Amino acid sequence: MNVRLRALISFLSVGAIVFALLSFQTLQKEPWRPDQLLNPEELAITINDPQNHQPLILCVGPAATIKNSIDIGAAHDKENLDKLKKKLNTIPKDEDIVLYCGCCPFNKCPNIRPAFELLNKMKFENHKLLNLPHNLKVDWIDHGYPVNN
Amino acid sequence: MKLLLLLLFTLFVSTSFSQIRDLEIGNQAPEIKLTNPEGDTIRLSSFKGKVVLIDFWATWCAPCIAEQSELVALYKKYKHLSFTSGMGFEIFGVSLDNKKDSWLSQIKKKKITWTQVSDLKYWNSPIAKTYNIQALPFNLLIDKNGVIIAKNLHSIELEEKLAEIKID
Repeated sequence: MNVRLRALISFLSVGAIVFALLSFQTLQKEPWRPDQLLNPEELAITINDPQNHQPLILCVGPAATIKNSIDIGAAHDKENLDKLKKKLNTIPKDEDIVLYCGCCPFNKCPNIRPAFELLNKMKFENHKLLNLPHNLKVDWIDHGYPVNN
Repeated sequence: MKLLLLLLFTLFVSTSFSQIRDLEIGNQAPEIKLTNPEGDTIRLSSFKGKVVLIDFWATWCAPCIAEQSELVALYKKYKHLSFTSGMGFEIFGVSLDNKKDSWLSQIKKKKITWTQVSDLKYWNSPIAKTYNIQALPFNLLIDKNGVIIAKNLHSIELEEKLAEIKID
């Protein structure tokens, strides 16, 4: 095999391994798994049909805007995180729980990570994070999904 | 039925695009009529004659809080100056907060002296819809007639724009 071709293949292989490792690290950085991100449309459909089994929806951001959600308060604040812990202590570990904030884009949100980490730590089994990558307005309100009055 | 759906879709798309187009540079900024912390109703149009920065922010938005300190310095520097498009510079702070206490506390903490208004409705605020706000912080710079002259400028870019339109 041509030396140049061999060098190119080696270079591309190393590049692919580095890329895979970096991607894995990025995925590992978040406290939630990709399958724990809940599609907003799915939750909206569930809320809109009372016949469906309703999850416990907890707002860990500035305001409980989503219909039927419970206001915990911004989870970056220790006082609110304690409030969340207190609430969770009363709930079975296999309860379906949906967490959301929606104040800011995911990468800037100070609330979702401490809250989700707490649920992981408390060994909850069926908790999900509502996938609001932009914010609550863009990913929920603007779609006409149900909100609290 | 298909025709009706197509018509509704076209209407929706054209309404959305027209709303976005309305906020382009050169267009009139939509009126804002909200209450200040004292409960008085304040209109954006009451600042006619001045260059005005409409600053959309909230106390739950970390980058907005960081920006308030920069705005305090900018306001002090440019407040009494004259511009090619207005006499004096004002900031019209529109908060998307939902808790009055947090809002008032940050105004005090950051020593904000410009006009602040809010309906305390968070992302549900109709003004967020009118101004098609996709993320915070968001701002518009308008001239003496309420015409948009710049959009979403922050930090050094905002100061450069003010320096550019200032009369020496």
